[in-house]
Amino acid sequence: MKSNKRIFATLPAGILVGLGLMASGAVYAGGSHGGGHGNKGQAFGEPGAASDVVKTIPIELGDNFFSPEKLSFEQGQTVRFTVVNKGEFVHEFNIGTQLMHADHQKEMAMMMEHGAIEVDRINHDKMKMDMGNGHMMSHDDPNSILLEPGQSGEVIWKFAASGELEFACNLPGHYESGMVGEISID
Amino acid sequence: MELRNWIAGGFAMSAAMMPFSALSEELYYGVQLEEFEYRAGEHGEQLFVWDADSFIGSDEVKLRWKSSGEVEIEENNLEALSNQLSLQVPVSDFWDVKAGVQLDSPDGPDRWYGVVGVSGLAPQWIEMDLDFLVSEKGKASAVLDMEYELLITNYLILTPSIEVQGAFSGDPEIGVGSGINSTELGLRLSYDLVDRMVSPYVGVAYERSYGETADLAKDEGEETSSWQFVIGAKFIF
Amino acid sequence: MKKKLIILGMSQSRRLIAAIGIGIGLLSASMVTAGEYNLTVDKVRISTGEFEKTGIGYNGSSPGPVLRFQEGEEVVINVTNNLDETTSIHWHGLILPYEMDGVPEISYPGIKSGETFTYRFPIQQSGTYWFHSHSGFQEPDGAYGAIIIEPKGREPFRYDREYVVQLTDAHPHSGARIMRNLKMMPDYYNRKQQTLMDFFSDAEKNGFSETASDRMAWGSMRMMPADVEDVQGFTGLINGKGPDQNWTGLFKAGERVRLRFINSSAMTYFDMRIPGLKMTVVAADGLNVQPVTVDEFRIGVAETYDVIVRPKEDKAYTIFGASMGRSGYVRATLAPDEGMTADVPKLKGKPLLTMADMGMSHEGMDHGNMPSMSGEGHKPEGHSVEKPMQNGKMMDHSKIGSDMDHGRMMKMNKSAADPFYAPGSGLMPQASNGGKFLSYKDLKAQKPLYPYREATREIELRLTGNMERYIWSINGVKYEDAEPIRLKYGERVRFKFVNETMMTHPMHLHGMWSILDTGSGKWNPVKHTISVAPGTTVYSETEVDAEGQWAFHCHLSYHADSGMFRKIVVEGGPDNAANITPVKGERSWN
Repeated sequence: MKSNKRIFATLPAGILVGLGLMASGAVYAGGSHGGGHGNKGQAFGEPGAASDVVKTIPIELGDNFFSPEKLSFEQGQTVRFTVVNKGEFVHEFNIGTQLMHADHQKEMAMMMEHGAIEVDRINHDKMKMDMGNGHMMSHDDPNSILLEPGQSGEVIWKFAASGELEFACNLPGHYESGMVGEISID
Repeated sequence: MELRNWIAGGFAMSAAMMPFSALSEELYYGVQLEEFEYRAGEHGEQLFVWDADSFIGSDEVKLRWKSSGEVEIEENNLEALSNQLSLQVPVSDFWDVKAGVQLDSPDGPDRWYGVVGVSGLAPQWIEMDLDFLVSEKGKASAVLDMEYELLITNYLILTPSIEVQGAFSGDPEIGVGSGINSTELGLRLSYDLVDRMVSPYVGVAYERSYGETADLAKDEGEETSSWQFVIGAKFIF
Repeated sequence: MKKKLIILGMSQSRRLIAAIGIGIGLLSASMVTAGEYNLTVDKVRISTGEFEKTGIGYNGSSPGPVLRFQEGEEVVINVTNNLDETTSIHWHGLILPYEMDGVPEISYPGIKSGETFTYRFPIQQSGTYWFHSHSGFQEPDGAYGAIIIEPKGREPFRYDREYVVQLTDAHPHSGARIMRNLKMMPDYYNRKQQTLMDFFSDAEKNGFSETASDRMAWGSMRMMPADVEDVQGFTGLINGKGPDQNWTGLFKAGERVRLRFINSSAMTYFDMRIPGLKMTVVAADGLNVQPVTVDEFRIGVAETYDVIVRPKEDKAYTIFGASMGRSGYVRATLAPDEGMTADVPKLKGKPLLTMADMGMSHEGMDHGNMPSMSGEGHKPEGHSVEKPMQNGKMMDHSKIGSDMDHGRMMKMNKSAADPFYAPGSGLMPQASNGGKFLSYKDLKAQKPLYPYREATREIELRLTGNMERYIWSINGVKYEDAEPIRLKYGERVRFKFVNETMMTHPMHLHGMWSILDTGSGKWNPVKHTISVAPGTTVYSETEVDAEGQWAFHCHLSYHADSGMFRKIVVEGGPDNAANITPVKGERSWN
């Protein structure tokens, strides 16, 4: 799976998600940034198929907040999130557990430190760089989308299990200052 | 008498030269009673001694008043009294020069002096005052005062001090010979009790006179050297 | 004109700004708002838990009320002077007409005893600010309060409740007395000096001869490495409460709490932390910054920082700030219930200045390390810092200095050194828990106020002083003897602060913003107070966009009063802007 992703690393984020969806049909047990955290989270869902979408939710990314900030779905529903970045900074829309977000924040911090992501742009060349731990700075998981200012894209997700999830932007400081929303799955 | 007028004139002149800006600025003042103590000497003498140093002024010029004196307690006799009034201006980061007048009394006839001197902080934190004096009789002399504060803690302070008096020409009327004529060494251990306002201390002082001055003292039946135990307090306002 | 209630004490409102912020924004934009406020300047009793004294306050208390303004409104503030001396109020960090800036002799004559002065100005910004007297030593004597300005639009962050956390260093002595004592004896209040006991313990560690030559090196300069805090003996207050009085802010577990830190101290920097909580810094000096999460931050005198914390547990947390010189601290509590407390950390260590802080270390001014040199578009030739000591003899000791520095550098290499301190500085901040300590380098504007362009000229301001005489100055000249600094409306001036003293100076420009050069280009943070550490050179740029005359000074009260102060005169105005071509005009001004 890791080798598949390298191909997509330089493609615009919007397209990435679509390709990512096709490439992986596995149940997601956690954000799998190259390494995966399969042993940490619970199985909360999987990439959804466009044909199964029962709800379309528009998500607006601002500096530094989401609108809306609270969502709820039913177990088994497949939801299309149409995400648009109306801010002036790069933002992420990432579905996961609190724990997954905490891990992902470290990766995002590293990407910014290495210049792969700047405040207001994504450096696609640097995305190909090795992070020094055998992982690349790709950002192409189907449970998330990374958008430059003005960009838009979509995430289609099937919520498998009931519970509390968060959608978050894990760019440094964004989550902590409130760029995080709640998803409850009944 | 002429010289005395000249001294007074010089003092007035320097006062007139105070920069105008200094007058418009905030004035600060300070009063330090550096020694305020009882002394018991090895020859049975008991003295009350003070040494005060006050100023009022600005960064540019200060009016400074130094006063010191010694009272023989048993005889209730003012043995020495010295008052110096000077204007002091900075000349470098750590040094001031001063000019003024000094009146010494009694122990013989009063003496007026014209004073010029330097005052400041020498390297290694040694506080220094060096005065050159010319008396109304035309006799020149000098006094060097040095002091160092050794902080044992930030409140317990050991202060060694030294004062050296010398004369370029003797003035036998007031018991002063030429050359180095006296030294006083002090060592005081103080504790800052209330801020730096009240600092009681104990210590020792050693006074000694030399040469012609010592001879003159002997003629008067006085001792030429004496160890003294001191107890007192430093006051700063 | 409607009367507004002045909120006394700390606001405990639980408005969900995030959720309804936009609504409020629309509401306030559509209303013609004008708030009228009344302030009286009074003699008040100040009780710190350690001492009581008569001081000065507003509306009967010190600190004064929290003034809550709305961005876009026009405020009218009637200030009645009940003192028997002239007073004034300066609105620290607010952009306003210079006649309203409240500096006697520069903005206006001041407010005489018994008089009422009416301030009237539009509120053009939002965030956390403060106000204080600009007369004599009224501010150290207690004349200060907080200002909160609600933004028109929504904040770029979320919080469920907010508190002002206003710090001060209340002193049992009056300001005038402190000034007089410092003039009489500059180390009057320094009880952190190196002692014989320190000598023995250092000699045991480093050997007798090294310790002796270290002492001799400092002694020959007649400088004290322990000269970090001029005025010790204070009690640190938070919102007017001493450590034992323990100001407490309530929260519910899981809530986001916005803390608006304001350092209203006369002289004291504090290293703020909340053991057990990460703090996300979202604003500095009132203006939003890109959020950065830290364990600890140093707040200079007159600065403000807004942080968001999210206590997730139902327990008390201590807000703790050790003073930079570790001679005192502030303490308060965040708790789910009144009366709950958490451990109060002990004051640890005694920072000592190094030869690097004197600008004398070998690695001293390594240009590569200077924040200003890593940025874009700076003068390539750079400038080296002039050695504060001209005396060749003193340079002989630089070896001792650098040897000393190595030891410190070793320790510091563990955490990244802050480029806003001299390499090897004894003041280099380190988080108590080994985590992240905020640096100026981390501050990036959330929304840059000005387009990025080259400065049109540079003005060098050497921060100078004579510690022994307690005279502080700029370029060696104190305020009384100095000509005003003349700026032209429309220019972008680059101030080069060269700190040649051994103290840290928070430089505050009135009326116009200071864009601190952190090397982040267009994201350079915009501040009203720039702290300049010893032995460093710091640059800030100002778009000269306010006519009139303004104050510019070190915000340490006794440094400002003893001469580290300038009047700024802005020549021209909006109708008569200087037609100045930027020095290297690659970027346009639009």
